[in-house]
Amino acid sequence: MFDFDATLPLMAVQFLILTVILNALLYKPLGQALDNRDEYIRTNLQQAKERLQQATELAQQYEQELVSTRRQAQALIEEARAEAQKIATAEIAEAQQAVQAELLKIQAEIDQQKQATLQALEGQVASLSEQLLAKLLA
Amino acid sequence: MPLIHLWTALPLAKLEVGHHFYWHIGNLRVHGQVFITTWFVMAILIAAAFAASRNIQRVPSGIQNLMEYALEFIRDLTKSQMGEHEYRAWVPFVGTLFLFIFVCNWSGALVPWKLIELPEGELAAPTNDINTTVALALLVSLAYFYAGLRKRGLKYFTKYIEPTPVLLPIAILEDFTKPLSLSFRLFGNILADELVVGVLVLLVPLFVPLPVMALGLFTSAIQALVFATLAATYIGEAMEGHGGEHEGAHS
Repeated sequence: MFDFDATLPLMAVQFLILTVILNALLYKPLGQALDNRDEYIRTNLQQAKERLQQATELAQQYEQELVSTRRQAQALIEEARAEAQKIATAEIAEAQQAVQAELLKIQAEIDQQKQATLQALEGQVASLSEQLLAKLLA
Repeated sequence: MPLIHLWTALPLAKLEVGHHFYWHIGNLRVHGQVFITTWFVMAILIAAAFAASRNIQRVPSGIQNLMEYALEFIRDLTKSQMGEHEYRAWVPFVGTLFLFIFVCNWSGALVPWKLIELPEGELAAPTNDINTTVALALLVSLAYFYAGLRKRGLKYFTKYIEPTPVLLPIAILEDFTKPLSLSFRLFGNILADELVVGVLVLLVPLFVPLPVMALGLFTSAIQALVFATLAATYIGEAMEGHGGEHEGAHS
Protein backbone atom coordinates (compact mmCIF):
# COMPACT_ATOMS: atom_id res chain seq x y z
CA MET A 1 0.00 0.00 0.00
CA PHE A 2 2.78 2.39 0.88
CA ASP A 3 5.15 1.59 -1.91
CA PHE A 4 6.63 4.77 -3.25
CA ASP A 5 8.26 4.63 -6.62
CA ALA A 6 8.66 6.65 -9.77
CA THR A 7 4.89 7.22 -9.83
CA LEU A 8 5.31 10.05 -7.35
CA PRO A 9 7.56 12.44 -9.33
CA LEU A 10 5.76 11.56 -12.55
CA MET A 11 2.41 12.43 -10.99
CA ALA A 12 3.85 15.73 -9.81
CA VAL A 13 5.09 16.50 -13.30
CA GLN A 14 1.76 15.48 -14.79
CA PHE A 15 -0.06 17.70 -12.35
CA LEU A 16 2.13 20.68 -13.26
CA ILE A 17 1.52 20.02 -16.95
CA LEU A 18 -2.22 19.88 -16.25
CA THR A 19 -1.94 23.18 -14.39
CA VAL A 20 -0.23 24.81 -17.35
CA ILE A 21 -2.77 23.43 -19.83
CA LEU A 22 -5.76 24.42 -17.71
CA ASN A 23 -4.23 27.84 -17.14
CA ALA A 24 -4.11 28.39 -20.88
CA LEU A 25 -7.46 26.77 -21.62
CA LEU A 26 -9.57 27.65 -18.60
CA TYR A 27 -8.30 30.16 -16.06
CA LYS A 28 -6.97 32.79 -18.44
CA PRO A 29 -9.79 32.99 -21.02
CA LEU A 30 -12.64 32.44 -18.57
CA GLY A 31 -11.10 34.75 -15.99
CA GLN A 32 -10.75 37.34 -18.70
CA ALA A 33 -14.39 36.80 -19.63
CA LEU A 34 -15.46 37.19 -16.01
CA ASP A 35 -13.46 40.38 -15.59
CA ASN A 36 -14.76 41.78 -18.85
CA ARG A 37 -18.32 41.04 -17.82
CA ASP A 38 -17.76 42.71 -14.46
CA GLU A 39 -16.35 45.74 -16.23
CA TYR A 40 -19.24 45.76 -18.70
CA ILE A 41 -21.84 45.56 -15.95
CA ARG A 42 -20.12 48.24 -13.92
CA THR A 43 -19.92 50.72 -16.81
CA ASN A 44 -23.49 49.96 -17.81
CA LEU A 45 -24.68 50.52 -14.29
CA GLN A 46 -22.74 53.77 -14.16
CA GLN A 47 -24.27 54.92 -17.43
CA ALA A 48 -27.73 53.96 -16.30
CA LYS A 49 -27.24 55.93 -13.11
CA GLU A 50 -26.08 58.96 -15.07
CA ARG A 51 -29.05 58.69 -17.39
CA LEU A 52 -31.42 58.42 -14.50
CA GLN A 53 -29.85 61.53 -13.03
CA GLN A 54 -30.27 63.36 -16.31
CA ALA A 55 -33.84 62.24 -16.66
CA THR A 56 -34.66 63.41 -13.16
CA GLU A 57 -33.06 66.76 -13.83
CA LEU A 58 -34.97 67.12 -17.10
CA ALA A 59 -38.23 66.22 -15.42
CA GLN A 60 -37.57 68.80 -12.75
CA GLN A 61 -36.76 71.39 -15.35
CA TYR A 62 -39.95 70.66 -17.25
CA GLU A 63 -41.91 70.82 -14.06
CA GLN A 64 -40.53 74.23 -13.35
CA GLU A 65 -41.22 75.39 -16.88
CA LEU A 66 -44.73 74.09 -16.62
CA VAL A 67 -45.28 76.01 -13.42
CA SER A 68 -43.94 79.25 -14.84
CA THR A 69 -45.93 78.82 -18.05
CA ARG A 70 -49.08 78.24 -16.10
CA ARG A 71 -48.40 81.34 -14.10
CA GLN A 72 -47.88 83.35 -17.28
CA ALA A 73 -51.10 82.03 -18.73
CA GLN A 74 -52.93 82.99 -15.57
CA ALA A 75 -51.50 86.48 -15.77
CA LEU A 76 -52.51 86.77 -19.41
CA ILE A 77 -56.04 85.71 -18.67
CA GLU A 78 -56.21 88.16 -15.83
CA GLU A 79 -54.96 90.95 -18.04
CA ALA A 80 -57.37 90.13 -20.83
CA ARG A 81 -60.23 90.02 -18.40
CA ALA A 82 -59.31 93.42 -16.99
CA GLU A 83 -59.07 94.90 -20.44
CA ALA A 84 -62.39 93.46 -21.45
CA GLN A 85 -63.89 94.89 -18.30
CA LYS A 86 -62.49 98.27 -19.14
CA ILE A 87 -63.77 98.16 -22.69
CA ALA A 88 -67.15 97.05 -21.55
CA THR A 89 -67.39 99.87 -19.01
CA ALA A 90 -66.33 102.41 -21.60
CA GLU A 91 -68.86 101.17 -24.11
CA ILE A 92 -71.66 101.17 -21.58
CA ALA A 93 -70.80 104.74 -20.66
CA GLU A 94 -70.75 105.77 -24.30
CA ALA A 95 -74.05 104.11 -24.96
CA GLN A 96 -75.58 105.82 -21.99
CA GLN A 97 -74.26 109.15 -23.26
CA ALA A 98 -75.71 108.51 -26.66
CA VAL A 99 -79.04 107.59 -25.18
CA GLN A 100 -78.92 110.70 -23.06
CA ALA A 101 -78.16 112.84 -26.08
CA GLU A 102 -80.98 111.26 -28.06
CA LEU A 103 -83.30 111.83 -25.17
CA LEU A 104 -82.35 115.48 -25.00
CA LYS A 105 -82.84 115.91 -28.73
CA ILE A 106 -86.22 114.27 -28.63
CA GLN A 107 -87.17 116.41 -25.67
CA ALA A 108 -86.16 119.50 -27.55
CA GLU A 109 -88.15 118.40 -30.58
CA ILE A 110 -91.19 117.76 -28.46
CA ASP A 111 -90.79 121.16 -26.89
CA GLN A 112 -90.47 122.77 -30.25
CA GLN A 113 -93.58 121.03 -31.59
CA LYS A 114 -95.43 121.98 -28.44
CA GLN A 115 -94.38 125.52 -28.96
CA ALA A 116 -95.52 125.44 -32.57
CA THR A 117 -98.78 123.83 -31.68
CA LEU A 118 -99.38 126.39 -28.96
CA GLN A 119 -98.65 129.20 -31.39
CA ALA A 120 -101.01 127.66 -33.91
CA LEU A 121 -103.67 127.27 -31.23
CA GLU A 122 -103.13 130.89 -30.18
CA GLY A 123 -103.79 131.96 -33.75
CA GLN A 124 -106.93 129.84 -33.87
CA VAL A 125 -108.00 131.24 -30.49
CA ALA A 126 -107.84 134.69 -31.90
CA SER A 127 -109.92 133.82 -34.94
CA LEU A 128 -112.37 131.76 -32.87
CA SER A 129 -112.90 134.61 -30.38
CA GLU A 130 -113.51 136.98 -33.27
CA GLN A 131 -116.10 134.56 -34.68
CA LEU A 132 -117.68 134.22 -31.22
CA LEU A 133 -117.78 137.94 -30.91
CA ALA A 134 -119.37 138.31 -34.28
CA LYS A 135 -122.00 135.69 -33.49
CA LEU A 136 -122.81 137.36 -30.14
CA LEU A 137 -123.09 140.77 -31.66
CA ALA A 138 -125.19 139.60 -34.49
CA MET B 1 6.28 -3.88 6.64
CA PRO B 2 5.00 -7.24 7.84
CA LEU B 3 1.93 -5.68 9.36
CA ILE B 4 0.78 -4.19 6.10
CA HIS B 5 1.40 -7.43 4.27
CA LEU B 6 -0.64 -9.19 6.87
CA TRP B 7 -3.42 -6.73 6.39
CA THR B 8 -3.45 -7.03 2.62
CA ALA B 9 -3.30 -10.77 2.99
CA LEU B 10 -6.49 -10.78 4.98
CA PRO B 11 -9.39 -12.25 3.08
CA LEU B 12 -10.84 -8.92 1.96
CA ALA B 13 -11.79 -10.99 -0.98
CA LYS B 14 -11.15 -9.24 -4.27
CA LEU B 15 -10.34 -5.82 -2.92
CA GLU B 16 -6.97 -5.57 -4.44
CA VAL B 17 -5.31 -3.14 -2.09
CA GLY B 18 -1.59 -3.14 -2.51
CA HIS B 19 -1.58 -4.87 -5.84
CA HIS B 20 -0.42 -2.72 -8.65
CA PHE B 21 -0.33 -2.94 -12.36
CA TYR B 22 3.38 -2.26 -12.75
CA TRP B 23 4.89 -0.63 -15.78
CA HIS B 24 8.63 -0.64 -16.18
CA ILE B 25 10.20 2.40 -17.70
CA GLY B 26 13.94 1.82 -17.94
CA ASN B 27 14.73 0.54 -14.49
CA LEU B 28 11.90 2.53 -12.88
CA ARG B 29 8.66 1.01 -11.74
CA VAL B 30 5.42 2.96 -11.95
CA HIS B 31 1.84 2.13 -11.12
CA GLY B 32 0.16 1.84 -14.46
CA GLN B 33 -3.41 1.85 -13.19
CA VAL B 34 -2.85 5.25 -11.58
CA PHE B 35 -1.60 6.69 -14.82
CA ILE B 36 -4.46 5.30 -16.87
CA THR B 37 -7.09 6.87 -14.64
CA THR B 38 -5.08 10.08 -14.30
CA TRP B 39 -4.98 10.44 -18.07
CA PHE B 40 -8.68 9.83 -18.18
CA VAL B 41 -9.25 12.55 -15.56
CA MET B 42 -6.92 14.95 -17.32
CA ALA B 43 -8.69 14.28 -20.59
CA ILE B 44 -12.05 15.09 -18.99
CA LEU B 45 -10.74 18.31 -17.46
CA ILE B 46 -9.01 19.46 -20.62
CA ALA B 47 -12.04 18.62 -22.74
CA ALA B 48 -14.33 20.52 -20.39
CA ALA B 49 -11.97 23.49 -20.29
CA PHE B 50 -11.67 23.48 -24.06
CA ALA B 51 -15.42 23.23 -24.55
CA ALA B 52 -15.98 26.04 -22.06
CA SER B 53 -13.49 28.50 -23.54
CA ARG B 54 -13.86 27.65 -27.20
CA ASN B 55 -16.64 30.11 -27.85
CA ILE B 56 -16.83 32.57 -24.97
CA GLN B 57 -20.06 34.53 -24.78
CA ARG B 58 -20.89 37.53 -22.68
CA VAL B 59 -24.04 35.76 -21.54
CA PRO B 60 -22.76 32.31 -20.62
CA SER B 61 -24.67 29.11 -21.21
CA GLY B 62 -24.12 25.39 -20.99
CA ILE B 63 -20.60 24.22 -20.28
CA GLN B 64 -19.26 27.77 -20.15
CA ASN B 65 -21.70 28.54 -17.37
CA LEU B 66 -20.65 25.45 -15.44
CA MET B 67 -16.94 26.16 -15.72
CA GLU B 68 -17.48 29.82 -14.87
CA TYR B 69 -19.30 28.72 -11.77
CA ALA B 70 -16.37 26.47 -10.87
CA LEU B 71 -13.90 29.24 -11.60
CA GLU B 72 -15.77 31.75 -9.48
CA PHE B 73 -15.95 29.23 -6.68
CA ILE B 74 -12.19 28.71 -6.86
CA ARG B 75 -11.56 32.44 -7.03
CA ASP B 76 -13.67 33.06 -3.95
CA LEU B 77 -11.91 30.27 -2.11
CA THR B 78 -8.47 31.57 -3.02
CA LYS B 79 -9.41 35.16 -2.32
CA SER B 80 -10.77 34.36 1.11
CA GLN B 81 -7.51 32.59 2.04
CA MET B 82 -4.97 34.92 0.46
CA GLY B 83 -6.58 38.31 0.31
CA GLU B 84 -7.53 40.59 -2.55
CA HIS B 85 -4.01 41.45 -3.69
CA GLU B 86 -2.25 38.13 -3.89
CA TYR B 87 -4.84 35.62 -4.93
CA ARG B 88 -4.86 36.01 -8.70
CA ALA B 89 -1.49 34.43 -9.38
CA TRP B 90 -2.44 31.37 -7.35
CA VAL B 91 -5.86 30.69 -8.83
CA PRO B 92 -4.47 28.27 -11.48
CA PHE B 93 -2.55 26.19 -8.94
CA VAL B 94 -5.24 25.98 -6.28
CA GLY B 95 -7.95 25.62 -8.93
CA THR B 96 -6.18 22.75 -10.63
CA LEU B 97 -5.68 21.09 -7.24
CA PHE B 98 -9.38 21.33 -6.55
CA LEU B 99 -10.59 20.27 -9.98
CA PHE B 100 -8.07 17.46 -10.33
CA ILE B 101 -8.74 15.95 -6.91
CA PHE B 102 -12.47 16.42 -7.28
CA VAL B 103 -12.67 14.72 -10.66
CA CYS B 104 -10.26 12.00 -9.50
CA ASN B 105 -12.35 11.21 -6.44
CA TRP B 106 -15.60 11.19 -8.32
CA SER B 107 -14.18 9.17 -11.16
CA GLY B 108 -13.29 6.53 -8.60
CA ALA B 109 -16.82 6.55 -7.27
CA LEU B 110 -18.84 6.99 -10.45
CA VAL B 111 -16.94 5.33 -13.29
CA PRO B 112 -17.39 1.53 -13.34
CA TRP B 113 -13.69 0.81 -13.67
CA LYS B 114 -14.27 -2.78 -12.66
CA LEU B 115 -15.52 -3.51 -16.13
CA ILE B 116 -12.00 -3.04 -17.45
CA GLU B 117 -9.84 -6.01 -16.55
CA LEU B 118 -6.21 -5.42 -15.80
CA PRO B 119 -3.65 -8.23 -15.58
CA GLU B 120 -2.89 -7.16 -12.03
CA GLY B 121 -4.37 -4.61 -9.63
CA GLU B 122 -7.46 -2.62 -10.47
CA LEU B 123 -8.41 0.73 -11.81
CA ALA B 124 -9.58 3.18 -9.16
CA ALA B 125 -9.38 6.82 -8.24
CA PRO B 126 -5.79 8.04 -8.69
CA THR B 127 -6.10 9.66 -5.28
CA ASN B 128 -6.25 6.31 -3.51
CA ASP B 129 -2.64 5.74 -4.42
CA ILE B 130 -0.31 7.28 -1.86
CA ASN B 131 2.09 8.37 -4.59
CA THR B 132 -0.48 10.73 -6.06
CA THR B 133 -1.45 12.38 -2.80
CA VAL B 134 2.15 12.74 -1.62
CA ALA B 135 3.07 14.24 -4.98
CA LEU B 136 0.28 16.81 -4.64
CA ALA B 137 1.13 17.55 -1.01
CA LEU B 138 4.81 18.04 -1.80
CA LEU B 139 3.86 20.38 -4.62
CA VAL B 140 1.84 22.38 -2.10
CA SER B 141 4.87 22.51 0.19
CA LEU B 142 7.08 23.71 -2.63
CA ALA B 143 4.40 26.22 -3.59
CA TYR B 144 4.16 27.81 -0.19
CA PHE B 145 7.94 27.98 0.20
CA TYR B 146 8.13 29.58 -3.22
CA ALA B 147 5.32 31.98 -2.39
CA GLY B 148 6.89 33.01 0.92
CA LEU B 149 10.38 33.42 -0.49
CA ARG B 150 9.13 35.36 -3.47
CA LYS B 151 6.97 37.68 -1.42
CA ARG B 152 9.27 38.30 1.53
CA GLY B 153 12.71 37.21 0.37
CA LEU B 154 14.96 35.74 3.04
CA LYS B 155 12.85 37.41 5.71
CA TYR B 156 10.51 34.50 5.11
CA PHE B 157 12.67 32.37 7.38
CA THR B 158 12.13 34.73 10.28
CA LYS B 159 8.72 33.14 10.62
CA TYR B 160 10.45 30.24 12.37
CA ILE B 161 11.58 32.45 15.23
CA GLU B 162 9.10 35.26 14.87
CA PRO B 163 6.92 35.23 17.99
CA THR B 164 9.60 33.49 20.01
CA PRO B 165 12.58 31.23 19.14
CA VAL B 166 11.28 28.72 21.65
CA LEU B 167 8.79 27.54 19.06
CA LEU B 168 11.52 26.90 16.47
CA PRO B 169 11.27 23.07 16.63
CA ILE B 170 7.52 23.21 16.29
CA ALA B 171 7.76 25.64 13.39
CA ILE B 172 10.18 23.31 11.63
CA LEU B 173 8.04 20.33 12.43
CA GLU B 174 5.10 22.08 10.87
CA ASP B 175 6.80 22.03 7.48
CA PHE B 176 6.77 18.25 7.72
CA THR B 177 3.35 17.79 9.22
CA LYS B 178 1.66 19.94 6.62
CA PRO B 179 2.41 17.73 3.59
CA LEU B 180 2.05 14.64 5.73
CA SER B 181 -1.42 15.54 6.95
CA LEU B 182 -2.50 16.79 3.52
CA SER B 183 -1.45 13.62 1.73
CA PHE B 184 -2.61 11.13 4.34
CA ARG B 185 -5.97 12.80 4.85
CA LEU B 186 -6.80 12.60 1.18
CA PHE B 187 -5.32 9.15 0.70
CA GLY B 188 -7.00 7.75 3.81
CA ASN B 189 -10.39 9.18 3.06
CA ILE B 190 -10.55 8.01 -0.51
CA LEU B 191 -9.08 4.59 0.16
CA ALA B 192 -11.32 4.07 3.17
CA ASP B 193 -14.34 5.12 1.18
CA GLU B 194 -13.59 2.66 -1.59
CA LEU B 195 -12.84 -0.09 0.93
CA VAL B 196 -16.06 0.47 2.82
CA VAL B 197 -18.07 0.41 -0.38
CA GLY B 198 -16.20 -2.68 -1.54
CA VAL B 199 -16.74 -4.55 1.72
CA LEU B 200 -20.41 -3.64 1.83
CA VAL B 201 -20.89 -4.70 -1.78
CA LEU B 202 -19.29 -8.02 -0.90
CA LEU B 203 -21.53 -8.54 2.11
CA VAL B 204 -24.83 -7.21 0.76
CA PRO B 205 -24.70 -6.76 -2.98
CA LEU B 206 -28.03 -4.94 -3.30
CA PHE B 207 -29.19 -1.47 -2.22
CA VAL B 208 -27.47 -1.42 1.18
CA PRO B 209 -24.22 0.05 -0.17
CA LEU B 210 -26.09 2.88 -1.90
CA PRO B 211 -26.23 5.29 1.07
CA VAL B 212 -22.56 4.63 1.75
CA MET B 213 -21.82 5.34 -1.91
CA ALA B 214 -23.72 8.62 -1.66
CA LEU B 215 -21.79 9.45 1.49
CA GLY B 216 -18.64 8.56 -0.43
CA LEU B 217 -19.50 11.09 -3.12
CA PHE B 218 -20.02 13.70 -0.44
CA THR B 219 -16.73 12.88 1.29
CA SER B 220 -14.90 12.94 -2.01
CA ALA B 221 -16.14 16.43 -2.80
CA ILE B 222 -15.37 17.63 0.73
CA GLN B 223 -11.85 16.19 0.57
CA ALA B 224 -11.15 18.02 -2.67
CA LEU B 225 -12.41 21.22 -1.09
CA VAL B 226 -10.39 20.65 2.09
CA PHE B 227 -7.22 19.97 0.17
CA ALA B 228 -7.58 23.06 -2.00
CA THR B 229 -8.58 25.26 0.94
CA LEU B 230 -5.66 24.12 3.06
CA ALA B 231 -3.25 24.57 0.18
CA ALA B 232 -4.53 28.10 -0.29
CA THR B 233 -4.30 28.73 3.45
CA TYR B 234 -0.69 27.55 3.63
CA ILE B 235 0.30 29.66 0.66
CA GLY B 236 -1.54 32.69 1.99
CA GLU B 237 0.03 32.19 5.40
CA ALA B 238 3.52 32.00 3.94
CA MET B 239 2.96 35.27 2.09
CA GLU B 240 1.41 36.92 5.09
CA GLY B 241 4.40 36.06 7.25
CA HIS B 242 2.94 35.44 10.68
CA GLY B 243 3.32 31.69 10.41
CA GLY B 244 0.92 29.25 11.95
CA GLU B 245 -1.67 31.57 13.35
CA HIS B 246 -4.66 30.06 11.71
CA GLU B 247 -4.25 26.51 10.67
CA GLY B 248 -7.56 26.28 8.91
CA ALA B 249 -10.14 23.60 9.46
CA HIS B 250 -8.76 20.09 9.55
CA SER B 251 -11.14 17.29 9.03
